[in-house]
Amino acid sequence: MAAQEPLLKIEDLWVSVEGKDILKGVNLTINPGEVHAIMGRNGSGKSTLSYTLMGHPRYSINRGSILFKGEEIGDLPPDERAKKGLALAFQYPVAIPGVSVSNFLRASVKAVRGKEIPVKEFRQELKAQMALLEVKDEFLSRYINDGFSGGEKKRLEILQMTLLKPALAVLDETDSGLDIDALKVVSSGINTLATKETAVLLITHYQRILNYVKPDFVHVFQSGQIVKTGGSELSEELEERGYDWVTQELTPSGVA
Amino acid sequence: MVKTIAKERVDEITKQTAEPAWLKESRLKAFESYLKIPTPCNRDENWRRTEVDALDLSTLNVVVSDSKEKSAAKEPAVVTEALSHLGKNLPYIYTTPQSVEIGNADSALLSKGVIFCSLKTALAQHADLLSKYLAPENLPTPDFAQNDKFYLMNQSLFNCGAFLYVPKNVILESPVLNVLSSGVETSIALFPRVIIIVEQGAKAEFVNICTADKTKAADASESLSLVNSSIETYVGANGNLSYLDVSDFSSNTFAVSRVYNEVRKDGSLHASTVALGGWQIKSDIQTNLKEPGSKSDIRGVVLGSGSERYSFNTIQDHISPDTTSTINFRVALKESSSSAYLGTIRVSKEAQRTDSYQSNKNLLLGSNAHADSIPKLEILADDVKCAHGATVGPADKEQIFYLMSRGLSLLEAEELIVTGFFRQVVQSCPVDGAGDWINALVADKIHS
Ligand SMILES: Nc1ncnc2c1ncn2[C@@H]1O[C@H](COP(=O)(O)OP(=O)(O)OP(=O)(O)O)[C@@H](O)[C@H]1O
Ligand SMILES: [Mg+2]
Repeated sequence: MAAQEPLLKIEDLWVSVEGKDILKGVNLTINPGEVHAIMGRNGSGKSTLSYTLMGHPRYSINRGSILFKGEEIGDLPPDERAKKGLALAFQYPVAIPGVSVSNFLRASVKAVRGKEIPVKEFRQELKAQMALLEVKDEFLSRYINDGFSGGEKKRLEILQMTLLKPALAVLDETDSGLDIDALKVVSSGINTLATKETAVLLITHYQRILNYVKPDFVHVFQSGQIVKTGGSELSEELEERGYDWVTQELTPSGVA
Repeated sequence: MVKTIAKERVDEITKQTAEPAWLKESRLKAFESYLKIPTPCNRDENWRRTEVDALDLSTLNVVVSDSKEKSAAKEPAVVTEALSHLGKNLPYIYTTPQSVEIGNADSALLSKGVIFCSLKTALAQHADLLSKYLAPENLPTPDFAQNDKFYLMNQSLFNCGAFLYVPKNVILESPVLNVLSSGVETSIALFPRVIIIVEQGAKAEFVNICTADKTKAADASESLSLVNSSIETYVGANGNLSYLDVSDFSSNTFAVSRVYNEVRKDGSLHASTVALGGWQIKSDIQTNLKEPGSKSDIRGVVLGSGSERYSFNTIQDHISPDTTSTINFRVALKESSSSAYLGTIRVSKEAQRTDSYQSNKNLLLGSNAHADSIPKLEILADDVKCAHGATVGPADKEQIFYLMSRGLSLLEAEELIVTGFFRQVVQSCPVDGAGDWINALVADKIHS
């Protein structure tokens, strides 16, 4: 039997926004079903990586490759990436006034699965996931993220991930801005999401989410690169010692 | 071009129909003024982005149907479609260049002195009532009565249309429908006129549909038709009118319409206009808030495609104190369609404590689409609340990315954004079922 193919293989990825280099040689390999966490300072380029993976047109890839399921996806539009099994839960989900959550969810699930789902079946599935994430029914008739609180937006993002069941879910700070109860609910949502079928790339600032969702690997992101990789113990160390410790370790003289 | 319509046309009309003398006088007077007024051109502020020159009136065949109205034998498809959203068995008038049919005239809505019939029948049976609104000395004086060639053309030549009269304190809970279909004809001129009177304390809903048989749509440039309409609504004290206009003309139709609304003390008017097709649609809507406490709420939904042109002028005329008006006009333009919106808020010196709001948002979907938005404020009172705003721009890139990241194609994402854009203004349309109907019509046109 051939060795298992990585789900995602990013090699020497250089990305710029409006002429400014943000990602400077990212390397990352994720196998099916693995949970990876990325931690790093504000502005280090974590969201840039997530947008680039999903194909936001503002980010241009200047060097390197993104192989997803063995195929280069760097030139594909976002919808085709979604159909291949990639999904992104946004750090800052946008509001779309006038478009109801229920209409959108149906259209989205239909598009990604590539087939019409009977209304009744879809309803049942949706209700089950909503119960799990404690999302109230009234949200279905509201407009997408319109007037939603920060925490409500994050719940809706996770709800979509659990409905789309992607092969890789990139969660960009889905644990930020949540109260303690919401954090539990969202974490258990991420846990149900992280299965053999779904790998998770969890971008976070907080160690506490990793108490709920055990990562197989923790990466430290700095100035557009992954500068250190370890097991789940790395996140605890980071929490304790801060990012300066990594910086110092990398430049033993202490001079960056 | 725009050559003129011959005097014989007016004579034909006055001869063919048994009209009261005051109406003949009114028609001839309008025709005299019509002749004196110069033809508009697209350099005129009100006619920006139109191509009025392309119209050659002398080649148009003015339809003078003298056929009597009869009961509808079979419900036309367009009516069935509308009624599936608005409610079954509602009374309707269906006018084509050949005939006028009345359907569901036995509806309970048409009791207690309510009159709903073709304008021709109304002139034959209720001439006295109509003279209060149509006789030369009683005609309203909206801006376009002074100098608008097309308005005067309609006033002299109108030859079809509808009349709704709702007596004092009578409440109509469901709408009546007036449908005009220009059929498959080309090179014709139709002059519909609609008069709606809601007396003191009365309530009514009126749905006006203009459509065409699009199965044999003709090439626009070769055989233009003209549909030149005049719509007048009168809302009495404490009266309430909800009016919905849906225009979906064929691609060879030059559609001009002039709407005059008049609202009395504490009365309220809600009017939504939905424009979905035509070669060019040029529409002026003037609302006069004549007495204290009167309110108007006007909404517009315009979805252009191909090389369609839309031009809307709205006038919110606050004549009396303590009056309120809102306008929400939303325009989405595909391909190389274009739109010009000119919105005037006028507040007279007496109209203190006016509250007026105007918003015009334009979504440019096609790379060659174009929209102008011009607000015009003429405010003479000093204690006034007045807000206006306009936006013109493409669909939001972050919204599109969000939707595409969830599997929707660029086209699907845009469609969803456009329906959402319109839903915000149509969802609360007071005519039951209208919101869903408009959403469905918009979705149909986006897909086509
Ligand atoms: N559109 C843009 N124009 C200019 N600079 C940008 C743009 N988008 C991102 N950047 C810059 O790229 C850098 C990385 O931003 P990014 O959002 O990826 O950081 P992040 O690691 O996700 O930070 P945070 O933890 O605060 O979410 C920042 O310096 C940011 O200002
Ligand atoms: Mg970020």
